[in-house]
Amino acid sequence: MDFQIERNDIANAGTVSSLTKRHLKKRGLSRSFVKRVTIGVYEAEINVVIHSYGGTANLNIENDYVEIEFKDVGPGIECISTAMQEGFSTASPYAIENGFGAGMGLPNIKSVSDEMYLDSSEDGTTLRIRFYIKDEDYENKPINK
Amino acid sequence: MDINDVLKLLDAKQFNQECPHCVREINYAFVCDLMSDALMLLKKMPSHIGAHGALVTGLVTNQALRTAEILDLETIIFVRGKTPAQSVIDLADEIGITLIGSSLTMYRASGLLFKGGVKSYESVLEEEA
Repeated sequence: MDFQIERNDIANAGTVSSLTKRHLKKRGLSRSFVKRVTIGVYEAEINVVIHSYGGTANLNIENDYVEIEFKDVGPGIECISTAMQEGFSTASPYAIENGFGAGMGLPNIKSVSDEMYLDSSEDGTTLRIRFYIKDEDYENKPINK
Repeated sequence: MDINDVLKLLDAKQFNQECPHCVREINYAFVCDLMSDALMLLKKMPSHIGAHGALVTGLVTNQALRTAEILDLETIIFVRGKTPAQSVIDLADEIGITLIGSSLTMYRASGLLFKGGVKSYESVLEEEA
């Protein structure tokens, strides 16, 4: 599934995570697992909205993992290791007025995901996060699993 | 605590009266205006013990609702007399979140809720441990 994410469209930020939540619940996945994935997706989605010039998200749900890739257009992250520090933020006053910019986004994404790939240049940023599904993450196992 | 008791305690009103999927109870609450703080801390709350949670905030935007939705918080209490736009109320109806508004400050509203028996998320975790 592909999604478009618009720059500064804070009113619609959260749509990707909300739809992700619905798809995962339909698959019979537990509330705890769904929460873990949607926190990561939401933080990443917000980052695209408030920091980039717009981008896309691609959601891939397999039987044993969920992966979502975000690609955006510039300006990129100047220093990834600094951006990964809790509390470091370059958010605009607009983002802060809307409840974001605490500098917790990337650390939070890392802490909830099982794998995280992040690459950035002045042309844009790619973030790929993966969540492995264990048997106990299913509340209702699908018949075809 | 029953929602009707919360409304009386905080001299508050419910914005989405007709919400068919909304719950009528609050067991614990978390207070913040920065949504990432809620996402960072409440992710530790196991869903089976974290039922009937409320977000107390001054942020009257869709993002407060999206944060509550992700964290399985079923009620949002807007403080300091903030009134959400109709589009925010409509989204709350769609995703099944009860919206309450009080003119009290965040500190006073939180203190009254705590005194009334609404737990902090830490105490819920401590009880489980």
